[in-house]
Amino acid sequence: MSVATAARAREPRSWGPTWYGLLVGGMVVGLVCFVYQWVNGLAVTGLSNTISWGMYIIAFMFLVGVSAGGLIVAAGAELVGSERFASLQRLAVILSGTAILVAAISILPDLGRPQFVWRMIRQPHWTSPLIWDVIIITVYLTIAGIDLYVLTRPEPRPGLLRTVAFVALPTAVLVHSITAWIFGLLVARPFWNTALLAPMFISSALVSGLGLLIVTTFIVQRVTDWEPGRGVYDDLGRLMVWFIAADGFLLFAEILTTYASRVPDHLKQLNVLLVGRLAPVFWAEVAIGVVVPFAICASGLRRRRGWVVAAGALAMVGVFAKRINIVMTSMFMPLVGLAPGIPNGRPGQGFAPDPIYIPTWVEAGILIGLASSFGLLVTLGVRRFVVTGRVPSIRTG
Amino acid sequence: MPEDTKVSPIEALPEAAREYGAIGEVSDEPRWGMAIDTERCIGCWSCAVICKSENDIPLGMWWNRILTKGDDLDTPTVGEFGGLEMSWVPLACQHCDDPPCMKVCPTSATFVDVEHGRLVAVNQEDCIGCRYCMAACPYGVRVFNWGEPEQPAEGFDLGMVEARPVGSVEKCTMCIHRLIEGQVPSCVWSCPAQARIFGDLNDPDGELVRVIEERGGTQLLEEKGTKPKVYYLEPRRRRSL
Ligand code: SF4
Ligand code: SF4
Repeated sequence: MSVATAARAREPRSWGPTWYGLLVGGMVVGLVCFVYQWVNGLAVTGLSNTISWGMYIIAFMFLVGVSAGGLIVAAGAELVGSERFASLQRLAVILSGTAILVAAISILPDLGRPQFVWRMIRQPHWTSPLIWDVIIITVYLTIAGIDLYVLTRPEPRPGLLRTVAFVALPTAVLVHSITAWIFGLLVARPFWNTALLAPMFISSALVSGLGLLIVTTFIVQRVTDWEPGRGVYDDLGRLMVWFIAADGFLLFAEILTTYASRVPDHLKQLNVLLVGRLAPVFWAEVAIGVVVPFAICASGLRRRRGWVVAAGALAMVGVFAKRINIVMTSMFMPLVGLAPGIPNGRPGQGFAPDPIYIPTWVEAGILIGLASSFGLLVTLGVRRFVVTGRVPSIRTG
Repeated sequence: MPEDTKVSPIEALPEAAREYGAIGEVSDEPRWGMAIDTERCIGCWSCAVICKSENDIPLGMWWNRILTKGDDLDTPTVGEFGGLEMSWVPLACQHCDDPPCMKVCPTSATFVDVEHGRLVAVNQEDCIGCRYCMAACPYGVRVFNWGEPEQPAEGFDLGMVEARPVGSVEKCTMCIHRLIEGQVPSCVWSCPAQARIFGDLNDPDGELVRVIEERGGTQLLEEKGTKPKVYYLEPRRRRSL
C-alpha cells in the first residue's frame, strides 16, 4: 500500500452528502405518500368517522408550537435587552420561520380535497377559527422573514430589531392562541372547551420551542465551528425551569378543576387520559416531559451541557405526547356514545363503539416528509445565516 | 342500469301513497322540524335502511342510525324495579338552529338553507374536506368520504340525490329533494311504528308543534345550546319487556 492511499483512507469522511441525501430521500418519501393518498383518498390513513383528526393535526399543532415558542424566546430576549441570547437569535428565527412554513404545509395532507383549498380564500367564512389561523400564519411567516432579514444585515440596526421584536412577540402569542381556539371553541368537545386551552398551548409552545432551540444549538455547535457563546446552556436551562413549571402548573389547574367539578361529559374524557386507554401516554408525558427535564434544569446538572441538551430533547418529546393526548382524548369519546356508535366510514367495517386509531405507513411517510423538509430548510438556513463568516461547510469527521 | 331508465320513486308512487306522504298545510315561512316518539319506536332500523337507499349512501356509512339505550346494541337494560327495558334513540342530523358545524366551516360549504325551512345543508362542491365540522358537531352524525364511494352492487343507487365526491363530508339532508316535491322525508314515510312526525315548527297549530307541547318534547344535548329542530318525545309510561 502506497503512502498516498493510506493517507486518503485516513482522511475523515464528510457527512454532508449523507445528511442531504437522507433529507431529500425523506422528502421524496413524503411526496410519494402524499400523491398516493391524494389518488386513493384518506381511506389509506388510519382515520375514521369517530377519530377524524389524527397525526396530521397533531404534527400541525406541534409545529406551530415550536415555531411560536422559538420566536417568543428570541423576541422576548430582544425586548428585555438580554445580551445572553444574542448569538442564538438568528438560529431561533430560522427555526421558527421554518416550523411555521412546514406547519402550513402539513394542513394540506389532512384535507380530503386539497385541490380546493383556495376556496378558503375565495369565500372565507369569518366565524371559522380556521380562517383566522390561515391569516395569522401568513402574517407570522412574513414577520419571521422580516426578522431574519433585519438580523442578517451586515450593519446591525438595534432600533429596527427592537421594533420587529415588538411586533413579532404578540404575533407569535396570537398564532398559537388561534391554533388553540380551533379546538378550544368547540362545545362538542368538553376536554378542549376550556378557557385554559390557549394559555396551555402557549406554555407548551415555550417548552417545546426552547427544547428545539437547545437541541439544534448543540447539533450546530458539534458539526460546525460555530460557537454559541459561554454559559448559554446554563441560561437556557434556567429558562426551561420556568417554562416547564408554568406548563405543569396549567395542566394541573385544568385537571384539578375538571376532577373536582365532576361534570359528567368532561370527567369521562379526563378519565380516558388519567386511567383509561391513553393513561400510558399521559403518564409518560408527565414523567419525561415535566418531571425529568424539570429536575435536570432545576438542579446542578444544568451546568453540564449534555444534561441540558437531554432535558431539552425530553421536554420536546413530552410536548409531542401532550399534543397526541389533547387530540385523541376528545376524539375517543363522542358525546353521544350509545351503541352501536359512529359508522367507521369504510365498506365492511361497520360501526365503531370503541374506536381505535393506528396511523398507517402513508401517514408515517408524510410525517417523515414533513420532518425532512424541516431538516433541510433549517440546514440550509443555518449554513447561510448562522455559520457564515466562519467555516461555511459542515465540519468533517 | 343506464342513467335514463331510473325513475324517481316519488314520481312512481301511486296516488294513495303520495297522499300518505304529503306534507300538508304549513305556514308561510316553514321551519322544518321533526319529533321522534321514543314510546312508539321499536328499534327496527327501517328508517335507517331506507335512508341509505333513498340517498345512495355508500357502504360503510349511515346518515341515520338507531342507538340503543344502555351498554349494548342488542341487550336490554334492567329497569328500576328489576324488569327488563329496552328503548332507542334514532339519531341523524338535528338540523340545529344554531349549528356549530356551520360556524366552523371555513368555506361556508355547510350553511343554513334559509330558502328551505332553515335546514342545515352541505354544498359538497365547496367542501375542502377539512373535517372541522365533524369535530364541531356534538352529535357525531357527519360522515366523510374516505375513499371512492362503493355501492352494494352496480346500478344499486337510485340517483335521486347527487353522488358526493371523495374527500367531502355528508350528512342527513332531511330529504330536501322530497320536501321540494311536497313529500315528507323518507324515514318519516317508512317508519312502521309511525314514530316520526314531520312538520313546520313555525306553525303553532300544526300537529308537530302540538305534539311537542303536549308531550313535553326534549332536545338532545339541549345544554350545548345548538337548538336542534329534532325533538324527542319521552315514553309516557314505564314499559317493561
Ligand atoms: S346535528 Fe351536527 S351536523 Fe346537524 S346541524 Fe347540528 S351540529 Fe350540524
Ligand atoms: S369538511 Fe367540508 S363542510 Fe366540513 S367544515 Fe370542512 S369544508 Fe366545511
